[in-house]
Amino acid sequence: MSESPDYDKLARQYGLAPIPESVQRLTQIVSRQDADLEQIARVIAKDPALTKRLLRVADVEVEEGESPADTVQSALMRRGMGCALLLAMGTPLSMALVKTFQTMLGIKLEAVSPTSVDPLDSEHLLGTIGFGGKAVGRLYLRLSLASGKLVASRILGVDPKDITDTNEVTDAVGELLNIITGNFKSNLCDAGLDCRIETPQVARSLQFYTDPIPGGGLEHMAFQAPPITLFVDVTVNPWNDE
Amino acid sequence: MASKILSVDDSRTIRMIVTRAFKSYDATICEAGNGEEGLTVAAREMPDVIILDVTMPVMDGVTMLTKLKENPLLKSIPVIMLTAESGRENVLHIAKLGVRDYLVKPFKEEQLIEKVSRVIQLVKKAT
Repeated sequence: MSESPDYDKLARQYGLAPIPESVQRLTQIVSRQDADLEQIARVIAKDPALTKRLLRVADVEVEEGESPADTVQSALMRRGMGCALLLAMGTPLSMALVKTFQTMLGIKLEAVSPTSVDPLDSEHLLGTIGFGGKAVGRLYLRLSLASGKLVASRILGVDPKDITDTNEVTDAVGELLNIITGNFKSNLCDAGLDCRIETPQVARSLQFYTDPIPGGGLEHMAFQAPPITLFVDVTVNPWNDE
Repeated sequence: MASKILSVDDSRTIRMIVTRAFKSYDATICEAGNGEEGLTVAAREMPDVIILDVTMPVMDGVTMLTKLKENPLLKSIPVIMLTAESGRENVLHIAKLGVRDYLVKPFKEEQLIEKVSRVIQLVKKAT
């Protein structure tokens, strides 16, 4: 989709990066209430990463002799269109997360299967942020206290042992969450999925699991750059009529 | 004479990053945690440039920018937006209010220095 000439000019002047077309296309399609399942399936089936995530979220395995498009379609039929919306939202979210850590901390995160990494089993940092608009949902970011301290030390450019104020850790993690969700929101709004974002909240927590919001889907994601592991959950109820 | 830079951001982390970025330059950094404080500090300090966040409590960056441009004493202070919001509507709206430049978070310190040096003359501190 081409931007208005004024925006193109400003984007060049300010050096703003455009949203990838495939992500924008999927978001645009699934944000419509009359979205066509076959059309969504075709867009997802062309992208191996999206296909893999959809099959994981839908818990569907590829049957022998079945085409990827058929498998994608059956996964969408089994789990509903909300599943596609989760994928559409998860892609810009993952991109924003990886880019933020790379740019601000010099840490190259890699997406990993949430079941392949050691789960959190003690008090940890939990960052949450809610969003409303065409879609209603909540995003959860979990990381260990040690990871939180390391993240804060990298962003502030100080030695981890020099961080003695826990507010420095929560403020740093909160600001990262703010940057990630700000980018995420911009991508969604540009693709026609207007939404509002709440102020991020970061606190110590013993809550290890995320419940999906009523009527919504849930996707678990994990990102790693040893020794840091981040757990990200997104729950969303599509097509809010507010 | 040292340049004066005003950083308006509700995140202490971002204000610390801005301060660190200009550590090796002959620059004084003033800070404010929201738009209302930002207007007060701007009127008191008359900075050479303002680095302004958008989403803040009490008074957001767009409101502060609007009030700044309505004030005959402050309207000529150049403003660089430093925000995570790069959506089309936001950028167009803010550009119309009259900003000198726009830097999207996440950012590298070098990018911030480069944008500021286009607006004011930054001088390295003597070692």
